Amino acid sequence: MRPLAITGLGVCSPLGIGWEAFREGLSAPPGGAFTTTPTSFTAAPHPGLRVAEINNFDPKPIVGDKGLRNNDRLTRLLLVAARLGLEHAGIKRDGAFTALGPTEVGVCASTAYGSLEAIHELDSVARLEDPRYLNPARFPNTVINASIGYVSIWEELRALNATVTNGPTGALDAFDAASLWIGAGRAKAVLTGGAEAMSEGLWQAFRRLGALDEQPEGWAPGGSVSRGLRLGEGACLSVVEDLAAAKARGAKVYAEVVGYGAAFEPAEADKPMVHVSAAALGRAVRSALEGLDRSAVAMVVSGLSGLAVTDGPERAALAESLGGVAVRAPKAWCGETLGAGGAFGVAAAIDWLADERAGACAVVTSVGFYGNASALVIRRPE
Amino acid sequence: MGVVSSIGLGRGAFWQSLVEGRSGTSTISSFDATRLGRTLAAEVQGFVASDHLTAVETRRAGRCAAFALAAARMAVRDAGLSDAALRSERASVVLGTTMGEADICGMLDARWILEGPDAMSPRVLPKAAPYLVSMETAQGLGCRGTVLTLPAACAAGNYAIGYAADLIRAGRADVVITGAAEMLQELQFAGFVRLGAVAPERCQPFDLDRHGLIVGEGAGVMVLESEAHAVRRGATALAEVGGYGLACDGFHITRPEPSGAGVVHALREAIRRSGLTADEVDFINAHGTGTKANDAVESTAVRAVFGDRRVPISSIKSIIGHCMGAASAIEAVSCVETINSGIYPPTMGYSTVDPECDVAVVANSAGRGRSDVVVNHSLAFGGYDAVVLFAKPDRLPSPEARGDLS
Repeated sequence: MRPLAITGLGVCSPLGIGWEAFREGLSAPPGGAFTTTPTSFTAAPHPGLRVAEINNFDPKPIVGDKGLRNNDRLTRLLLVAARLGLEHAGIKRDGAFTALGPTEVGVCASTAYGSLEAIHELDSVARLEDPRYLNPARFPNTVINASIGYVSIWEELRALNATVTNGPTGALDAFDAASLWIGAGRAKAVLTGGAEAMSEGLWQAFRRLGALDEQPEGWAPGGSVSRGLRLGEGACLSVVEDLAAAKARGAKVYAEVVGYGAAFEPAEADKPMVHVSAAALGRAVRSALEGLDRSAVAMVVSGLSGLAVTDGPERAALAESLGGVAVRAPKAWCGETLGAGGAFGVAAAIDWLADERAGACAVVTSVGFYGNASALVIRRPE
Repeated sequence: MGVVSSIGLGRGAFWQSLVEGRSGTSTISSFDATRLGRTLAAEVQGFVASDHLTAVETRRAGRCAAFALAAARMAVRDAGLSDAALRSERASVVLGTTMGEADICGMLDARWILEGPDAMSPRVLPKAAPYLVSMETAQGLGCRGTVLTLPAACAAGNYAIGYAADLIRAGRADVVITGAAEMLQELQFAGFVRLGAVAPERCQPFDLDRHGLIVGEGAGVMVLESEAHAVRRGATALAEVGGYGLACDGFHITRPEPSGAGVVHALREAIRRSGLTADEVDFINAHGTGTKANDAVESTAVRAVFGDRRVPISSIKSIIGHCMGAASAIEAVSCVETINSGIYPPTMGYSTVDPECDVAVVANSAGRGRSDVVVNHSLAFGGYDAVVLFAKPDRLPSPEARGDLS
């Protein structure tokens, strides 16, 4: 892949809002972000309810209060991350462009189930009242790409706007799309990564699937026990630019994105579609590392979430393709953030690489629920 | 190419109906829309999933994924592509959609709202993900390369096709199954009605008395191949994908930006990246939704790019409705048929010139003319503007001649 520079990070996470707050959260022991009394939705008390959410999330201090009325939670998370990312990259200050311009900056981000909250809200009106009472100003939120579209409206980013939806691998796939489009001269900078919002629907769906860890103690993705995942939320957007161009404009480079691979393995005939493929991840990792010095890989920043059916194949693939390399699990801090997962993985990798002496590269991995897998290679800048 | 549409299954039936201007609009049968005051849609009524899918696939796939996989199988058959070429790490799937499995999502939601969260079946939940259109297609065909879903609202087809071309040009795939799928669903239909976007009787793009769109559904899928791969297996290319252009209005979530600057940029980029000039475009497949705002802005953009040259333009949404995410994919199939036949499909229901839509509409019956170079417009929720250019094989300048533009 064409090397990219990450020149800014916009993080809106349960660990904190802003890059430094996120880093600080990551330096504390994992688990602190999880709550049994979320503020993002009201559900009947449930002993197994444990999610990593941004308690009492308020976007106003970052983006102001004008025009937010009809935006859903996902959009608000994204707007905060976008504003922070653009400012962190020195592209904007106080909402105004200080480098590059509206037609040179784009957005390409992922969400897996982003429109669920809005769909449920409107479905409730339609089912319990009357479809004629649907609020037309809220209807666009039911469309998957709406929240990411709002980022362009708020930040005046006209180069391009794209949404990727691919389950947990989506954010890594969004980095690749951003790379292709920057390489083709469609944008000079792209806000890329992903977002997922906590909602009752998301939690109920994973609960009904039996995928959640509901024990009060002992949950530790990356550890020896895989009892289930815990959901998280947030938006994490990196500003990516062509490496040489970023240096030329004097931008600080936080990391380089130097490799990407994706693969899919069909389920065996007549077996369920839901399957996690070690072979796909193995191929994705190999392809991401093609042409790179494997000995420079200091760590794998994995997608391990505590869910046995996904962790097992991921571990197997990593042992086979990168045996001996330390495997870390950022989901222990942030929870399973699905469409944002890879983006938080990239952010964690940048933080962890800063102090790492074993090598300059991290391989960020993610496996999907239907046989797909992706990997991205991040390098500490020289 | 493969098509699932309200006017026919398969490219032959689809194109025949299109050329004849036979409308796909009928009274909605999948839900009762009476209360909404709008009851018509271009619904796919003759589709039997098991005609195209295995028994297991038929049980598993939602309607949207079933449309996608059915259209993909038609496309693969049309292309004469072997199983070996498909079951490869060099074969990818990139599809678009707006909402994916909207019916499964709506059904689960209804159970939750009416009976409580425990009524959501864990057997059904895994079928609701919007990105299953691509996963089911890759699974069904056995593709093992990149599998990706681009939910770019009503521009999703063009996004997918453009991205698929990028993957091939970057050397990452030899074959990409690409296009988009969408299904008609109650909540989404009600939303369009509440936006005031749905016409009471018919969709009349560019007409002074146009009253909005007719919601449609379906899928359009094409097999994109690298030239080397196509030559190696002795395939006949139907068309070449030239360049494509993307822009974002950054203006309003549903309304197009009035100056049309984003559309102009996307259109100019599609032409420039193909190594061509605006003078060489022979036909425009319009986004042409039949809404006041869209058609006026799109016309302004066409005038800005082509000036006084009256390039024939048509919107087949007057026939197949607005198939949302699938629209530009199905229309891409139509573009390629135009290139192969020299026939411009008609814009039906056109009777009164709108001074705000001063463009050369192919009105009410099919036209004929040069068709070497065709552009496919799409404008979408989120302020998305995407235009893809298709050309007759060998019509485009060689990649060497046009530089690394695409």
